[in-house]
Amino acid sequence: MSQEHPPLTEGVYYILLSLYEPRHGYGIIQLTEEMTAGRVKLGAGTIYGAIKTLLDRGWIQTFEDDGRKKEYLITEDGKKIIQSEISRLRELFDNGVRITGGGKF
Amino acid sequence: MRDKKLIFRLFFDYEKEEEWVNGMAKNGWHLTSFGIGNYAFEKGAPGKYIYRNEMIYELGSKDDSKEYIDFLRDSGIELVKKKLNWAYFRKEAADGPFELYSDTSSKLAYINRFHYLFLFVFFINLFIGIINFILYSYANKESINDFVAGVNTGVAIALIYPILKIMKKRRNLKNQLEIFND
Repeated sequence: MSQEHPPLTEGVYYILLSLYEPRHGYGIIQLTEEMTAGRVKLGAGTIYGAIKTLLDRGWIQTFEDDGRKKEYLITEDGKKIIQSEISRLRELFDNGVRITGGGKF
Repeated sequence: MRDKKLIFRLFFDYEKEEEWVNGMAKNGWHLTSFGIGNYAFEKGAPGKYIYRNEMIYELGSKDDSKEYIDFLRDSGIELVKKKLNWAYFRKEAADGPFELYSDTSSKLAYINRFHYLFLFVFFINLFIGIINFILYSYANKESINDFVAGVNTGVAIALIYPILKIMKKRRNLKNQLEIFND
């Protein structure tokens, strides 16, 4: 990995994942809620701020559609970020499982 | 039968104001408009809506609220009324819980809007107050400097409590960010 980033917030992680297909804001909120079985409910104010930041960073782009609502899509840079985040999470997970003896409860 | 009412009430605490508006909604009175110290309600099904107030942009910064309001509307959130940078939004309670900010970092960014605004107004008032106290000591009997000094100092003092409250909240949020990611 050439570039290291601080950990993503859960919100940003799920926003980026949601945007592997073009979606508008509400679509992101719904998919995230679905993927986490209702655990992560993104606030519309939170997601609006995050989308602006991600657009500025070039991790996502607006996806022009004929629809009324603005849709967004992840960029190649965004996908790289997600890949390195997944490796980081795998490291966290593997170390946790190795030391505690697995995710047994 | 009255199905509309106007209530005059002054709030210094925006969270208390929001709680009160939500209490009214639980009793079947839904906010439709507001002004300084007055609130208009319309009779409806008790508990139909959840309300949130928001400072939608910082005064002095660019008003980009149209885009934000459109974004919220597309997410199923209705703008009740917007006056300058202060707005009320609502969502049907049947859709589940309604919060505009869901993680610590965005809550912190939001509360900072109040923090800086309140501090700014506090120091401006304190400054004008002190200047007028100084002028008063040189002025003749008919001067209004003592009155102005009193008003500005009063405003500054009235702001101390909300400022402390916001500072405490900021500290808690920051502490949380030291252990948790968001």
